[in-house]
Amino acid sequence: MAESFSLFRARESPVHSLHPLTKLGLAAFLLVSGLAVPAIWYPYALLTFAVFPLAALSRVLPDLVKVIWRVALPFAISVFLIQGFLWPGGTPILDLGIASLKREGLIFAIASVGRILIMVGAFLWFTLTTRPDVLMIALYQRGFPSSLAYIIVATIQIIPRFQARANTILDAQRARGLETSGNLVQRARGVLPLVVPLILGSLVDVEERALAIEARAFSYPVRKTSLVEIHEAKWERMLRLGLTILLALVLAFSVWIRIV
Amino acid sequence: MSDLRKDFGTITLVMIPVAIAINIAVGQLIYALGIPLYLDSIGTVLVAVMAGPWAGALTGLLTNLIWGLTGLNVQYAPFAAVAAVIGLLAGLFAEANWFRSWWKALLGGLITGLIAAALSAPISAYVWGGVTGSGTDVIVAFFRNFGFGILPSTFAQGITSDPLDKAVSFLVVWLIVRALPWRFLARFPRAESAQES
Repeated sequence: MAESFSLFRARESPVHSLHPLTKLGLAAFLLVSGLAVPAIWYPYALLTFAVFPLAALSRVLPDLVKVIWRVALPFAISVFLIQGFLWPGGTPILDLGIASLKREGLIFAIASVGRILIMVGAFLWFTLTTRPDVLMIALYQRGFPSSLAYIIVATIQIIPRFQARANTILDAQRARGLETSGNLVQRARGVLPLVVPLILGSLVDVEERALAIEARAFSYPVRKTSLVEIHEAKWERMLRLGLTILLALVLAFSVWIRIV
Repeated sequence: MSDLRKDFGTITLVMIPVAIAINIAVGQLIYALGIPLYLDSIGTVLVAVMAGPWAGALTGLLTNLIWGLTGLNVQYAPFAAVAAVIGLLAGLFAEANWFRSWWKALLGGLITGLIAAALSAPISAYVWGGVTGSGTDVIVAFFRNFGFGILPSTFAQGITSDPLDKAVSFLVVWLIVRALPWRFLARFPRAESAQES
């Protein structure tokens, strides 16, 4: 997939050769349990003992850390400032004169940041180590509707083309005197002349594309063979089953501990 | 209610990736222009008008997930369900022929935006700590400062952007559908709802 657009990083690692559904199962377990379990230390423990070691094993740790930093930092700062300092009626633990840091706010901020980190971390580890088209093939082999698999793969392939087209239209309209900087009203005026040509232009080849894939037996109800072969080790099935059971238990426990 | 399989014929399946790409490309463009709107649901609403609420819902759902998958905008991924509801509502409004006049389309957008803000607030509050990590957090800060809870403060932030954003999106789709040749529209399962009255 030379032109496709995803976070996937090809590396020589034992994790990369795992079946995509195994990786999906792992990521789903980390993500769901990280968000469900109401213990403030749990997401951080998952990060330290599961996500980062997995990323290191997959040789994507630097990429992971870089993207987590870029995504999570604005949220962390906002949460800490807003919920930490503006928590109504909390117990202050640090007084800075104009505002004071509240204990409840700080605890909430730490819990929030933990959830943000585990969610972004698990999701990113998965996308960094899994080729989207291989994932779609694996899902299709498990009964995923081929139309859905087509949609996802096609989208990932055409996004770069769309971004290029959007930039072309931006340049073309600018060359014709469209204001794209300046005050808000000027920029807002530029929205329609940019958006409408982009959309109308992209709809032109929808019909042709539909004809093209129809001519290649797209909607014919037959089992399609794949060019790519995916390998799966015996123990991966057991691992996925174990993870599913474990996740069900963790979810049940999370619900029970919140009710009791 | 039309046959679901007709709604998801080949032309719809080809349209959805294009619509998702439109969502992402326009969303990124608007962000680059620094305009305080999202405009990342235009494709979703377009599919909903032309192929029904379920196709619209799928488009919305996949937009947020794929946007996260590409690493361009990971923060939108948890809001996939909200995007699906936007597509669903747009499709229902289209079925009720609200896209035949511009002011009904605008009103439909406002209502959808309100519902979207209401649904986004709990997700934002639980997953993202009630903040957006961007400039609109001043609204959240404002309400928190006056003693409002996390959920109401997040909802207040959503209210300032979502209804307007969806109203504009619905309006743009109304414009586009009017500009499209009937020869093209007629291929889609829900073309009648897009016809001018």
